[in-house]
Amino acid sequence: MLKIWQSVSVAALLAAAVSTAQAADTITVVGWGGNWDKAYKEGVWDKYTEQTGTKIVQEEWGGELAKVRAQVQSGSVTWDVVSPEAPSVEIGCAEGLFVPLTPEITGDPAKYHPGTIMECGVASDTWATILAYNADAIPGEGPKSWADYFDVEKFPGKRGMLSQAQYTLENAMMADGVAPADVYTELRKPGGVDRAFAKLDTIKPHVVWWSSSTQAMQNLASGEVVMTDQYNARVTNDIVNEKKNYKIVWDAGFFYGTDMWAVVKGSPNEKAALELLKWFSIPENQAGFSKLYAYGTGRVEAAEYVPAEWLKNLPTSPDHAKYGATYDTQFWVENKEALEARFKAWLAQ
Amino acid sequence: MSSGGTRTGHRARRQNLLMAAMVVPLVLFIVFIFLWPVARFLWLAVDNSDMSANLSRTFAAIGDWRPADGPPPEPVLAALVEDLAEARANGRDGILAQLVNQRLVGTRYLVIKTAKAASEGKFDMRPVGEALLAAHSGWNNPALWTELIRASGAVTDYYLLGSLDLQRSANGGIERVPADQAVFLDALLRTVWISIVVTVICAVLAIPLAQAIVSAPPSWSRLLFALVLFPLWTSLLVRTVIWIIVLQKNGPVNAALVFTGLVPEPLTLIYTRFSLYIAMVQVLLPLMVLSLVSVMRRVPTSYMKAALSLGAPWITAWRRVQLPLIMPGILAGAAIVFVFALGYYITPTLVGGPGDQMISSYIAFYTNTTLNWGLAAALSVQLLLILLLAALLFWTARALTRRRGALA
Repeated sequence: MLKIWQSVSVAALLAAAVSTAQAADTITVVGWGGNWDKAYKEGVWDKYTEQTGTKIVQEEWGGELAKVRAQVQSGSVTWDVVSPEAPSVEIGCAEGLFVPLTPEITGDPAKYHPGTIMECGVASDTWATILAYNADAIPGEGPKSWADYFDVEKFPGKRGMLSQAQYTLENAMMADGVAPADVYTELRKPGGVDRAFAKLDTIKPHVVWWSSSTQAMQNLASGEVVMTDQYNARVTNDIVNEKKNYKIVWDAGFFYGTDMWAVVKGSPNEKAALELLKWFSIPENQAGFSKLYAYGTGRVEAAEYVPAEWLKNLPTSPDHAKYGATYDTQFWVENKEALEARFKAWLAQ
Repeated sequence: MSSGGTRTGHRARRQNLLMAAMVVPLVLFIVFIFLWPVARFLWLAVDNSDMSANLSRTFAAIGDWRPADGPPPEPVLAALVEDLAEARANGRDGILAQLVNQRLVGTRYLVIKTAKAASEGKFDMRPVGEALLAAHSGWNNPALWTELIRASGAVTDYYLLGSLDLQRSANGGIERVPADQAVFLDALLRTVWISIVVTVICAVLAIPLAQAIVSAPPSWSRLLFALVLFPLWTSLLVRTVIWIIVLQKNGPVNAALVFTGLVPEPLTLIYTRFSLYIAMVQVLLPLMVLSLVSVMRRVPTSYMKAALSLGAPWITAWRRVQLPLIMPGILAGAAIVFVFALGYYITPTLVGGPGDQMISSYIAFYTNTTLNWGLAAALSVQLLLILLLAALLFWTARALTRRRGALA
């Protein structure tokens, strides 16, 4: 009997040892799916696996912080590293869902673009919501500014717009003549938000609202809309891969936002995950993503490793950065719920 | 005699026990996998413990003080500093800040920064009041204290009221929220209305279709049945997105309309209530057909023939003979379609217009994006109540048709 128990416990110990060894060698990384995940795999993760032997399993999500909260609260964390949007990282960090990162992991915070490093996260990708138009539908002189975008006399045809307050209010303010850098100062003033909604009122009948970027690009391709707001890489992707005649109007002004890599608190592979982020903080390593996908990353020097011709497609390129401003995470963390509710009420009127 | 009776009793009891043993796993499964988690989530609609527990000292210190009496007194602020420092030590300051911000927008960072400073001992000197208000003047705001006092209980009606576009007024009564924030009541009515319309369209389309399937020769019947089932094997998302392509401005439907000269220029078909109905009916129709076919198969064709041969016009015969007989199928199908339709949100998001969003999309938004599970739970309670009401109506309707059947 004793023998049986001995062999059972030895087997259990072995199994435990094997599973921890496996666990340490595999990190589950959750990204935004599709070409985004593909670019990360080919440009970044494969290289890491090659150098360290650590395997990386990719999973896909839509940025739902609720899924992280459910894992942490139930104590069964299966995701190690996730990529939420910056406001979600801010909320999750304050709630204790993510592991705080030290400069030892991230490197010197001063070497990052503004807004691309936070207490619990470093940029996985910096994207911009830009003005794009279909040059087949608008031959000749195209729109030059967000004011043109709101001018249906000058440029007839429907406009695509993301059906949420975040990003849309900013575009409305720019159309009303506010420079990107001043948009949040104006929005925070009493009546600032009303001003944005009043501007949106002027274009409401001419808008086709979208909720997924695939849908928005389909609308642009089919002629349902002649211009649209969009994440820049989606437009670049169609220009490069499908030879579409689309134009991005960078100098109309744009906002850039950031998704962040964050380590889930309670992850069984926390140490390995932090190692991964430490490796990722080296500019050359994170540039692997930007080379394949037209989004920037956090470290300023990463641009040096991206071919000049391709760099022109990134929101963080020196050519464009001067027209852009960063989304104000604090503004949206505090106002998101109230403004989205108001936006939905406005939309349904 | 008596011994025989006991033996049968034993056997019956053993059988009962066996039956019970067979049912127990199912009951346990339903309770632990379904009822318990749902009940726990719905409890969040009234749960206020994160607020009341993390600010317990503050609420105790507030006592009878009201913002109208003047600035917050020293004991209240001292208790607040203690509470916030402890919340930060326990990692609860984030959730507390989020809850306070829900009540009064723009206070999130005030709570987080104060908690951080409190835990670093910045307010250890007494009295704390002046230092606290100097560093974080937001605590001078009477509106914030009014909201906090209102949120002091272990349970709250805040979310349930909010889900009905209601709020507490300054004097504690219940009032409607400002018009530009009122969204849920409209969305709720819209959800019910869309579900009813979809159910009716499905019923009207499914009755002739099911009749054709039942009446056709077996080989045709099988083929028709397969065609009805076919869409069920395709993913919901694909079936929905296809409609965008079919109905878009330069899509096949508009091309055909313009080509035949029926309309001078392409119509706006997609992103409207019309396209939403089409997409939802297409997805839900098979469910209605299935439940109708199973009932119609059991109705002998001789009844209709008898009614017709007795001289009743076809429409009268159908209405008075066939319709009551297939009514259980219609009711069962309608119940399924209605319940499914109530929970739709992907389809309205993708093919509906801005005024066609249904209540589930709001639940998903508050659950996933802003983590306001209290409001999400309150909206779920509404949906559940509508579901129960609908179930009651269907049950009554069924009982009525049964009784009429029995009387006839």
